[in-house]
Amino acid sequence: MKRFSLAAALCAMAFAAAAQQPAPAAPPPPPAFAPSNLTVPGVRALAANCAACHGTEGKSAPGSSVAALAGRSAAEIADIMAQFKEGKRQATVMHQIAKGYSEPEIHAIAQYFSRLPR
Amino acid sequence: MERFSNSRRRFLEASAAGVALGLTGCASTPPPGPKGGRVAIIGGGYGGATAAKYIRMLDSSIEVVLIEPNEVFVSCPMSNMVLGGFLTMNDITTPYTALAQRHGVRIVRDMATAIDMEKKQVRLAKGDPVAFDRLIVSPGIDFMWEALPAMGSAEAQSQVLHAWKAGPQTAALRRQLEAMPDGGTYVLSMPEAPYRCPPGPYERACQVAAYFKARKPRSKVILLDANPDVTSKGPLFKKAWADLYKGIIEYRPNSKATDVDVRGSTVKLEFGDVRGAVLNVLPPMKAGAIAAPFITANNRWCAIDWLTYESKAVKGVHILGDSLLPGPLMPKSATMANGQGKACAAAVVALMQGQPPNNSPTLVNTCYSMVSDKLAIHVASVHKYDGGDGQMKTVPGSGGVSAAMNETEGAYTMNWARNIWADTLG
Repeated sequence: MKRFSLAAALCAMAFAAAAQQPAPAAPPPPPAFAPSNLTVPGVRALAANCAACHGTEGKSAPGSSVAALAGRSAAEIADIMAQFKEGKRQATVMHQIAKGYSEPEIHAIAQYFSRLPR
Repeated sequence: MERFSNSRRRFLEASAAGVALGLTGCASTPPPGPKGGRVAIIGGGYGGATAAKYIRMLDSSIEVVLIEPNEVFVSCPMSNMVLGGFLTMNDITTPYTALAQRHGVRIVRDMATAIDMEKKQVRLAKGDPVAFDRLIVSPGIDFMWEALPAMGSAEAQSQVLHAWKAGPQTAALRRQLEAMPDGGTYVLSMPEAPYRCPPGPYERACQVAAYFKARKPRSKVILLDANPDVTSKGPLFKKAWADLYKGIIEYRPNSKATDVDVRGSTVKLEFGDVRGAVLNVLPPMKAGAIAAPFITANNRWCAIDWLTYESKAVKGVHILGDSLLPGPLMPKSATMANGQGKACAAAVVALMQGQPPNNSPTLVNTCYSMVSDKLAIHVASVHKYDGGDGQMKTVPGSGGVSAAMNETEGAYTMNWARNIWADTLG
């Protein structure tokens, strides 16, 4: 009896496992990103991500051909970013990075750099 | 609660180890005096140096003490180009002087040996303890030598190099390659993911092959990958190997090293051994030793709160860089550590000013790899904070890799290096 119930239990477990297996893993839920932080420190933090390639506070290092961002017009920066985001402008990396930012974020970053000294 | 007491016990052990290293009980630096408080930072790599600079930029009333044993910063990114013979050690070296002179960071050239959270002090190998209000720990990686028993001795480690922390080992490995007679084999062994710099070993194979192609055309590169396939930019690297280094690079997946026969110059695998004239073995990696009390994942990595960068094990300690348990698809890279340094700096400044930290942080990663002296490829990603589960996740539709290896990105790679070195240290 004991042996039987063990076998039955194993059987039940095997069935449970089999029942679970065919069901494909549900895709993970889409990310629930926190709303953009467009306060002064929030925008400064967003813009700081650009510095690794474009230089601290948008000032490209001497000898670097990566575009400096400080002191350029906000409209120009926002327009170029929109073209990257829509795939309308030739790029190596920026078309992939621009897609990570929302339009309000792009405008806020553009404003931020436009106010910095060249 | 249990996790806390565990981590606390581990912390005390780490402290005891620090004491056992022969530290004298000399007078500590005076308790934090500056108006804005004092932040101590352990480790002047891409994470710690960036955090130091940005804290001072955001609030110059906060005193920042950066504890770093090395006199100068030697960059891991671009160091494979030194192995290829296309850059010199001088090209990848930056002094710490601008951090001190331009940003007022106090640099203590010493090794942190223990952290005393009760006294809020970092103990040092040579100097007096450094007191802090908040602590940032950014020690990078350490090697799990126990995975390769024969590599445990200092003698073995001086013969079979990793060169995975740029510096003297980079120069020494280059000398080994230069001394190798033509017709020899260079064997590079890499561990299972996660490890520092996912594309780094594949780039290194390219750089050494470029050197052989030009100067030692009968020589070979064997890349022993513990992973089942190339872990980063796979199709791009495979195309570079086929187009540029056919007959030079041999790639062997599922080839996990179990030990090294140092005298026999042989890497031992689960199935079979591979002999080479020059061995370059990357052991499995974990968080730097000083971060041991804060390890929470797989006995290797430190989990944090992504809003504050505070350790999940101990409050008041912030961790960043390669020691972290990363978010999904987040590499242990220089750009990532630099971005984490800024996000952590902003959070620490906010907390010290009694303000809430940024509730919506974003991180961007760009990793370039030089597949020859002029051609490069990249991978990029954008990560945002998901308030639901507290993870940093990639933004759908963003990121990607190069369409093909090209010279434009080769030029951008060096320019990226100049700017990130300036952003981290300038």
